[in-house]
Amino acid sequence: MEMNAAGLAELFLYSVSMWWLIIPAVFIGILMGAIPGFAAHNTIIMLLPLTLAVDVDLALTFMVALYCASHLGGGIPAILLNIPGTGGAAATTLDGYPMSQQGNASRALALSFVASISGGLITSAVTLFMLQYLSQVGFYVRSVEMVVVMLFGLALIAAIAARDMIKGLIAGALGLMLGAMGADHIYATPRGTFGILELFDGVPLVPALIGLFAISEALIMLESRTIAPAASARAMPSWSQTFREILGAFRHWWLMLWTSLLGLVIGVLPGAGASIASFVAYQQARVFSRTPEAFGTGHEQGVVAPEAANNGVTTGTLVPLLAIGVPGGSTAAVMMVVLQFHGVPFGPRLFVQDPVLAYGVIMSMFVAYVFMLFTLFPLTRYLSRITVVANYYMAPMIVAFTLVGAFVPRNFMADLTIAVAFGLLGYVARKTGYNVAAILIGVILGPLLERSFLLSMRISGGDWTVFFSSVIGNVLWGLLAVTLLASPTMNLLRNLRSARNTQSKMEH
Amino acid sequence: MKQTKLNAAGRIGRRRFLAGAGAGVAAAASGGLLAPGMALAQGFPDRNIDIIIPTGEGGGADRDARAFASIWGNHLPTNFQFGYYPGAAGQVGYEFYMSREPDAYSLIFANLGPEVIMLELQGTGITVGKDIVYVQQTLSEPMAVWVGPHSPFRTLEELVEEGRRRPLTVAVSRLPHPASIGMLALGEELGIEIILVPYGGGNATAMAAITMEVDCAALPVTNSIVLADQSLVLGVFAKENVAPEGTDNAPTVNAALGTSLPALTSSRAWGVHRAAYDAYPERVAALVQSMSATLADPAYVAAVEGTGVPPVFIDPGNEAEAMASAQATIELARRYRDLLTGS
Repeated sequence: MEMNAAGLAELFLYSVSMWWLIIPAVFIGILMGAIPGFAAHNTIIMLLPLTLAVDVDLALTFMVALYCASHLGGGIPAILLNIPGTGGAAATTLDGYPMSQQGNASRALALSFVASISGGLITSAVTLFMLQYLSQVGFYVRSVEMVVVMLFGLALIAAIAARDMIKGLIAGALGLMLGAMGADHIYATPRGTFGILELFDGVPLVPALIGLFAISEALIMLESRTIAPAASARAMPSWSQTFREILGAFRHWWLMLWTSLLGLVIGVLPGAGASIASFVAYQQARVFSRTPEAFGTGHEQGVVAPEAANNGVTTGTLVPLLAIGVPGGSTAAVMMVVLQFHGVPFGPRLFVQDPVLAYGVIMSMFVAYVFMLFTLFPLTRYLSRITVVANYYMAPMIVAFTLVGAFVPRNFMADLTIAVAFGLLGYVARKTGYNVAAILIGVILGPLLERSFLLSMRISGGDWTVFFSSVIGNVLWGLLAVTLLASPTMNLLRNLRSARNTQSKMEH
Repeated sequence: MKQTKLNAAGRIGRRRFLAGAGAGVAAAASGGLLAPGMALAQGFPDRNIDIIIPTGEGGGADRDARAFASIWGNHLPTNFQFGYYPGAAGQVGYEFYMSREPDAYSLIFANLGPEVIMLELQGTGITVGKDIVYVQQTLSEPMAVWVGPHSPFRTLEELVEEGRRRPLTVAVSRLPHPASIGMLALGEELGIEIILVPYGGGNATAMAAITMEVDCAALPVTNSIVLADQSLVLGVFAKENVAPEGTDNAPTVNAALGTSLPALTSSRAWGVHRAAYDAYPERVAALVQSMSATLADPAYVAAVEGTGVPPVFIDPGNEAEAMASAQATIELARRYRDLLTGS
């Protein structure tokens, strides 16, 4: 199944020759990723007739490039407008938007692009060489371990709550309660749906995200003239400044490396995805940072970590499809439809019968990120200008575009109502100091946590000790405890040290 | 192999892609699949046909519906627009379908086994025959019990032997499902405890079996056939294994264990609103006629085979046969109601 260096080099050149396909796909992906509701999965479904009409290698190259670019695109409105284009970019708003408000939008975009592209390049390169090993992750991380992984993500609520404990926890708990709406996982009994059919499958993520972030943000925007301070409205960053910002972003190479690999591993896990990866990466980056207190205030690391992680996920979600034959996520499931339609086998048989196509999928991803390197960096200079556009133009456009996005995934009119309801909830939350990201974390991770919890309990016959029955699970529990205790312990030690210093100074 | 592929790709080039893309964009703009060169008919249908799939995209229903529609376009001059409405074991899709205009332009692509059981057990208020009519059956496949390639169990007997020592965990797509009935009935007959673990979809269920989170999986047999060497079929809930090649020559459950379980199959079928069936008989007749022509078309056999489904599972059945399959499933659901609902 493995390819030698010459084969990979030839494959690289072949993928590069697809530039005429990859570049349009990248721009479509960026655009769709930036509009909440469209994202890769829905865009690929909309374009399915096109991809079914062409040869399978062209179709897969197009889909893969679009998929990667949409993850990158999701971060752009998160930074510029406080509106994540995808669930995976929700964590980016926490520091990306404060940077924009401080007039540093262009630097935040540079960080986002560098982190996304580096994350994608690192993880696709790693996947090319370690596909078989990565596919084994699913054998060791099952429902029990997934419970702990979800708790890592939920720990971010605790981090948000650290700034205002009561309000942070209330927001997180509200999100978890909203996430519990819908048919229960085991018996499919509807809970808290008020008989509304559109809620039977749970609170739909896209309308909730659009409401909490986009609509509430649009209402808030109307209270000020522009997002960025007036001073920054006059100057567009020069080319040399843009170049310096891009180069400067590489200072965070170590953070990009480990958070993208974290995203890769989470992406391989069935049922996980970009949202979980970015929340976990943000939280872990904060824990291991020398300046954790700066997170949430426009900290560079707070942009780098989630963006590198959610692009690491893109490669990870393809691993189960390629190595085992079972799609790891909804986008991979659509790719499987294309493979099936063309009569191409998937899983290990694909590597035996058509290794060029199998490795070509990952190489296309690598090459797509290389192209993004050259095509997107100049955009940081111009995109940042969005923050100085008058809000009375931006707000109605945001509401119009995002409401269309709320409708697209399921075609339910009720989803517009849900988006507006979440918009009002988000507006009230913002005005009263409750964090909307904490609510969204609960809405996204709550059902996933419940699913893994119920599966574990069912497999164990109701024995709760199952959560401490595996070595990997116990190691993860230990790491979770360290994560949760690290910040307060460090703060305590810092306080003790400063108190001791003050005391010694007074004695002298 | 590699050189051939590169050459082939070289031949494709921009021109072929653009030609294909042009056709694709036209189809995309109209929202579905359109046979090349096909002119739209003057009468019915004069607009797109909506296909409601009550499960997610990329699953078995999606695979089979698309294979059918790819040939159906040659016999019914229109476009097919797919909509996916998963949730509550299929209830969301059915409820949504029933809210559509009953004009024979909206069809549901049903997986009769699990969905009819769901309708029977979940009190949806939707009654087969009264509210919905299955007008054409396309495929039928038996349920199977299977394990991943690294499982310690290599035969059904070994699995059952383990089941006599401890409860067996069985991954299933959902509780109201013929495969779930099969495993519960097996456990009841042999006196072993079966714990059904619903993973909410065929792909997630398959993954649980492959990674050995559970002892085995029970699903429609095609799920394991398309996985090839990633699965080992231990037994088939049928009178006879009609696809021995793709199923590791697995025995039937009854033959392997001496049980007397009923044959458990699930059929794919096209359904229409009863109201549309009564109000527009000529439209329904046009649909059925083109469906029958599709099923008789050798290209359909090739399309099914191309998706990895053995053509032996193609099971054309008219309305009477499709409704009989649904009725048999209703009776099965009633018989095993207590086991499925835990009451």
